[in-house]
Amino acid sequence: MSFLQPLISGILTGGVYALAGIGMSLVFGVMNISNFAHGDLMMLGMYLAFFAFTLLHIDPYISLVLIIPIAFLFGYMMEKVFINRVIHHPHQNQILLTVGLGLIMSNTALLAFTSDPKILTTTYSSSAFNLLGDVSVSVPLLLSFLITCLITVILYLFLSKTSTGMALRATSQNREAAQLMGINVAKMSAIAFGIGTALAATAGALIAPTYYIHPLAGHSFLLKAFTICVLGGLGSVVGAGVGGIIIGVVEAMSSTYLSSDWKDVIVFVIFLAVLLFRPQGLFGKKGGQ
Amino acid sequence: MIQHLLHISHVSKHFGGNVAVSDVSFSVEEKQIFGLIGPNGAGKTTLFNCITGFFPATSGDVIFDNKKINTLRPDQVCKLGMARTWQRVKPLGSLTVLENVMVGAFSVTSSTREAEAIAQEQLKVVGLSDYTTKSAGSLPIGLKKKLELARVLATRPKMLLLDEICGGLNHTETDTILDIIRSIRKKGATIIFIEHDMKAVTSICDQIVVLNSGEKLAEGTPAEITNNPDVIAAYLGGGHHA
Amino acid sequence: MKQIAFIAAIAAIAISLPLVIGESPYFIGILISLLMMAALSSAWNILGGYAGQYSFGHAAYFGAGAYTTLILLTLYNLNPLLCMAMGVVVASIIALITGSIVFRLRGHYFGLASIAVAEVVRLSVLNFEFTGGAQGILLSDVVLWDLDLNSKIPFYYGMLLVLAVTLAITAYLRKSKTGYYLQAIREDQDAASSLGINISFYKNKALLISAALTSVLGSLYGLYIRFIDTSAVLDLRLSIEIILTAIIGGVGTLWGPVVGALLLVPLAEMLRSNFFGDMLINAGLVSETSGVGMFLKDNLAHAHVLVYGIITVLCILYLPKGVLGLFRRKK
Repeated sequence: MSFLQPLISGILTGGVYALAGIGMSLVFGVMNISNFAHGDLMMLGMYLAFFAFTLLHIDPYISLVLIIPIAFLFGYMMEKVFINRVIHHPHQNQILLTVGLGLIMSNTALLAFTSDPKILTTTYSSSAFNLLGDVSVSVPLLLSFLITCLITVILYLFLSKTSTGMALRATSQNREAAQLMGINVAKMSAIAFGIGTALAATAGALIAPTYYIHPLAGHSFLLKAFTICVLGGLGSVVGAGVGGIIIGVVEAMSSTYLSSDWKDVIVFVIFLAVLLFRPQGLFGKKGGQ
Repeated sequence: MIQHLLHISHVSKHFGGNVAVSDVSFSVEEKQIFGLIGPNGAGKTTLFNCITGFFPATSGDVIFDNKKINTLRPDQVCKLGMARTWQRVKPLGSLTVLENVMVGAFSVTSSTREAEAIAQEQLKVVGLSDYTTKSAGSLPIGLKKKLELARVLATRPKMLLLDEICGGLNHTETDTILDIIRSIRKKGATIIFIEHDMKAVTSICDQIVVLNSGEKLAEGTPAEITNNPDVIAAYLGGGHHA
Repeated sequence: MKQIAFIAAIAAIAISLPLVIGESPYFIGILISLLMMAALSSAWNILGGYAGQYSFGHAAYFGAGAYTTLILLTLYNLNPLLCMAMGVVVASIIALITGSIVFRLRGHYFGLASIAVAEVVRLSVLNFEFTGGAQGILLSDVVLWDLDLNSKIPFYYGMLLVLAVTLAITAYLRKSKTGYYLQAIREDQDAASSLGINISFYKNKALLISAALTSVLGSLYGLYIRFIDTSAVLDLRLSIEIILTAIIGGVGTLWGPVVGALLLVPLAEMLRSNFFGDMLINAGLVSETSGVGMFLKDNLAHAHVLVYGIITVLCILYLPKGVLGLFRRKK
C-alpha cells in the first residue's frame, strides 16, 4: 500500500471540506457568528444536486451553475429574515438561533425526503485512473477538487479586487470602523451569509456523487467545518483553506492506517488539541486582538 | 523614609509590531493621588492593563507592596489590594446595584450577609443608597461611574486605579466624584488617576506623569507639568486630532 | 413565608401525584420524563444560566452516568449507588478535561469544544467493545435492592428527589458568593476578574456541579429504562433538548427549567403519540383516508424535533428571556 494513495485522496476530499470551512470562516469573520446551520446548508446542496440530476437530468457539476445562485439567495434571505435580528445579541442566542434553523432544515428534509439515504450515481461515479503506477485517483473527487480550486480563486479575486469584496474584508477586520467609513455593514452581513451558504451548498453538491445523501448528513460536516475554521484561525479564509486540506489528509490517513471508525474521533481530538495548544489557529498571530 | 507602594520599572508592552507602552518607569508613594495623563492613544489604559494583569507587560517589572506582580492574573492582583475601574464602565447589567457592589465585597468575605453590609456602606459613601434595588444596566452614565467606584471600594483596596472616572460627566458630577476621591484618600488609600482633562487632574493630584505615544514625556507636580513646554506641545498636537 | 408555602404546595402535589393518578405506567412514564428533563435542564442552568457558559454537550455527562452504571452493574454487579458514584467520577473527569482545555479561552470556544468533547465520547462509546458498541447495553436480571422493577413508582420518586436536590443547590448557590461570582462572570468577564474573581476556577466549579448532577440523572435513567445506546443517551439532540427546555422556561432563573419541562415534555409526548393528528381527524377537519390525513398519521409522530426547531427560533426572536421573563419585565 502506497503512502501516496491516502495522501492524494485526502487532499482531494480536503479541498471540498476547505470550501465548506471557508464559507463558515467568512461568515464568522464578517458577522462574528458561529453558524450551526452550516452543515444543514451543505445537506441542502446535496439534495439540490441530487434532484437536479434525477429530475432535470443535469450533471451534478453542471448543476452548480443553478445551485450557487439559489443557495446565495437562500442564505441572503435567511440573514435578512432571521440572523440579522440577533446580531447584537449574546453569542449563545446566535448559536441557538442557527441550531434551531438547522433543526428545521434537517427535519423538514426528513419529512419531505424520508430518512432513506439517496445515492447519486453518474456514469463516472466509480471511474478512476492510475497515477504513478499504483495510486488510483477517483474521477469525481478530482473533478470536485478542480472545481473547488476554481471557486476559491474566483472568491479570492472577488475579495481582493472588487469594492464589495474589499468592503467585506474591512467589515471582517473591524465592524465599527467599517461602519464609520460608510460601509453598509448590514448589507455586508447578508452578502457574507449568502456567500457562506453558497459555498456550503457547493461543497454539498460536490461530494454528493461520492457520499450518501441523507437529511442528517449535515451533522458530521458541521463539526468538520468548525474544526477546519479553528485549525485555520476563526475568521481566516486562507487558514480555512489549508485547514480543510489538513483535515482531509488526516481523515484519509487515519482510515488507512487505523480504522475508518476512528477517523471522526481523531478529527475532534485535533480540534481540542488546537484549542489547547494554539487557540489562535495554526496561522493566527499570537497576541493579536 | 518614603514608602513606595507601587514601583513601575522599565515597563514596555508590544502588540505584534506595535509599541503601545515603551520603557516607562515611575513610583507611587503611599497615600498619594497620582495622575497619569496624555493625549488619546498615549498608552495610559494599556499601562493600567499591564499593572493589573490584564495584558502582562512584554518587558519590565511591576512591583506592588514589595511584591513582583507582572505575571499575576487580574484576580490575584485584586486580592493583593489593587483595584481598578474601567474607562468604558462595565456594570454587571442584570444584577442590582447592591449585588454589583456585593460582588466586590466578596473578595474580603465569604458571608452573603457581611458582603451586603459592606456594600450598603460603600453605596452610602458614593451616594447611591437610594438605588440599591435598581438594575445596574438601567442607571445613567453618571451613576454607573459612581457604581464602579463603590464596587472597587468594596474590595477594600490599598490602591485604586481609576481610568477616566470623570469622563463623560458634567461639572457637578465631576466635582462630587473628586470629593469622594479626596475622602477615600483621607481613609488611607492610594490613588492613580487617568484623566484626559488637565483641569480635573491638576486640581487633585500630588504628582503627575505625562505619557505621549507610549513614552514617558514628563513627571512632576501639577505646577511643573502645566508649565512644561513639551507637555503643552503634546497636548496642542494631540488636541487637533481629538 | 409565601415562598415556603408555595414550595410546600408544589412538593405536596409532586409527592401525592402517583397516588392520585394511580399506577398507570403510561402517565407515570411521562411524569418521569418530565421530572428528568426539569432536573437535567436545572443542572445545565447552573453552568449555562448562572455562569453564562452554554454547554452544547451535556449529553456526555448524562451518557457517562448511564454507561458507567450499566457497565459496572452488568460486569461486576456492584451496588447501584456505588455505580452511580463511579458515574459521577467519570463525568467529573470528562468535565475537568473539557474545562481545562476551554475555560482559558473566551467567546465561542466553550460551546464548540463542549460539542467536540461530547462527540469524542459518543464515537468512542460507539467504537469500543466493552460499551456494547452500536448494540448498546441491556440490563437484565439485576436485582436493585428489593424494588419491584416492573413498577415505575420508585423511579418517579428517585427523579423527584434529584430534581429537588438540584433546585435546592441552585437556590442556595444563587444567594451565595459562588452564585454571585458566576453571575458576575456571565455579565462581564473583565469586570469579574478585576474584582478578584478567579474566572476559570469558578467556571470549572459550576461545570463540575452541573456535570455531577447530570451524571446522577443519567445513572437513574439507565436503571429505569434498562437499555441504553448512544442515540438514547449521548446524542447531540439530547444536549439541545436540555438547553431548549431552559430557554423556553427562562435561563438563569430557579424555576425556568421546571416551567420549560412542563411545557415541552407534554408537547413532545403529544406529538409522539400523534395526539394532534388524531385530534384533527376526530374533529372531522381532515379525513383519515385523504392524502393529508395519511401524511399526518405517518409523519407527525416524527415531527417533534422539527417543532423543537421552530420553537427555538421563535423563542430566541420573540421570547429570549423565556416564559418566566414575561412576568419579570419590570424591576
